Amino acid sequence: MMNTTWIIARKESAQMLRSQRGMVWLLTFSGLLSAFSLLLVSNTELSLLDNAQVVYMMAGTVMAAGALLAAILGSDAYAGEKERGTLVPLLCAPIAPNALLAAWGVMFMTCVPYLWAVGASGQNLGPALFYLALFGTPVVLGFGYLTMALSARTGSVMTSLLTTVTLLMLSASPLLIGPGLRGTVVGRALDAVNPFAGALNTFDSVIIDSEPFSVQTARLFLVAAWLGLCLLVARRSAGRPDFQ
Amino acid sequence: MINIENLRLTIEGKEILNGIDMHLRPGDIYGLLGPNGAGKSTTIFALLGLRARESGRVSMLGGDPADDAVAIRRSVGVMPEKAGFYEWMTAPDYLKWYSRFYDSELTGRDQGTMLENVGLGKEAQRPIGTYSRGMKQRLAVARALMPRPKLLILDEPTNGLDPKGRREIHDLLVGFASNGKTGVLLCTHLLDDVDRLCNRIGIIDNGRTRLEGSIADLLTEQRGGQRYRLRLETRPDTGNLPAGMTVLGHEGSWWRVQVQVKPSEGPSSLWGELWGRGWKILEIRSEASSLEEVYISHTGQERHLAQEVA
Repeated sequence: MMNTTWIIARKESAQMLRSQRGMVWLLTFSGLLSAFSLLLVSNTELSLLDNAQVVYMMAGTVMAAGALLAAILGSDAYAGEKERGTLVPLLCAPIAPNALLAAWGVMFMTCVPYLWAVGASGQNLGPALFYLALFGTPVVLGFGYLTMALSARTGSVMTSLLTTVTLLMLSASPLLIGPGLRGTVVGRALDAVNPFAGALNTFDSVIIDSEPFSVQTARLFLVAAWLGLCLLVARRSAGRPDFQ
Repeated sequence: MINIENLRLTIEGKEILNGIDMHLRPGDIYGLLGPNGAGKSTTIFALLGLRARESGRVSMLGGDPADDAVAIRRSVGVMPEKAGFYEWMTAPDYLKWYSRFYDSELTGRDQGTMLENVGLGKEAQRPIGTYSRGMKQRLAVARALMPRPKLLILDEPTNGLDPKGRREIHDLLVGFASNGKTGVLLCTHLLDDVDRLCNRIGIIDNGRTRLEGSIADLLTEQRGGQRYRLRLETRPDTGNLPAGMTVLGHEGSWWRVQVQVKPSEGPSSLWGELWGRGWKILEIRSEASSLEEVYISHTGQERHLAQEVA
């Protein structure tokens, strides 16, 4: 299992580095983080922000971008392979493909220097990195697995990607609607079931308010349940992929 | 190597296979024939454990694909109909990457030998995206042969190949099965490939096996039911035919008939009898492709043909 995962992960990373599409993704993601970092540290108004606030904003952005990338990779995992005619040869080989974890690992490593750059002189950089890994990883992997499930069931990159991106936009809405609206009944209800919001609230709690781990357990359960559910759906769908 | 008894399989509530039987022994090159949509590819996917069966017994290389699919696939080389590749890779890179799924590490010499065997030489160093269809077919055959399998399953392996390329692939397959311990399941609609390569065939239509056996035995049986085209001077009386004769249809003055006669007797006495019944026969042509006869008479193509002719 691990061997085949590693074989596919190596191919996926080579494809990202060597194919035109992969380079576009990497450059776009790098450009997005660079621009955001530059804005945060150079803008005369934003540069007045507390460093912890900057780190918090970067953590949320990295998680959203990570989930988007996971959705793109997840949609390609089955439907993309099917559309290129490469899925059946893979299924005919003795393998159990799952390269997403490795892909998220690459993503996380990519974001670390940016967090360091904008938060090195501020507070709670260590907790930011720790909680981004602990909460951000399940959220991102969940979106990846959900897209893989849709990709396997529908056999269509377009359908799986659009569905997950729509769901991702809904989930990431706490980033957009601001703290005022999040205090309303609707905002609080959304926060209670939304794994994305759960992770964001944890970042807020530990980076800005310096609260301890014990406060985060309910949110940790939420993101873990999200990952477990998505993984279960993905495993069931991957057992009966639409490949013909 | 393959034993299938009464395989039934449904996909999303629709019955796709409803009575497939297949028996492939070591040393066999088995031709799986049938019209488009007959269920050939689905049968292959059931054999590989990629489709769950509803009922019936399936055994491949001594195991049940429902339980041991991954282990069975280690000993099987497969060339699916859609032979897709990662177009940014070169052929040697691709073979090396794919071989790792089979826990083998190909050396540069191994890669070169495999590619030369299928007729891919120096041009194999280019990205696969620049290959012609025929080159991709050759690479797909190399991929199927790469794990040194006990059983080869090939779906339309000579599609897109020129005559020389087809002959090279034929030679490879014959060489592969010649040691008597390995087998080939060849799924094709090219009867010429089957004629040249296979010793046994199975014909399936509408998800059911219509016929299975050795080609030699089937042709011997079929000789009792040969088809002819007769050019007649006048329209004959088709209501009063000799025993063992069937009219399949006509086009102008040409009439297609099927006659059942014993191989030892031949049809000449029948022509005399027909003449006596008013059939003014000007010309007789045998429709000689015997394998084609076997195929047509068991796939429902006969009915379509008769309707077209009539």
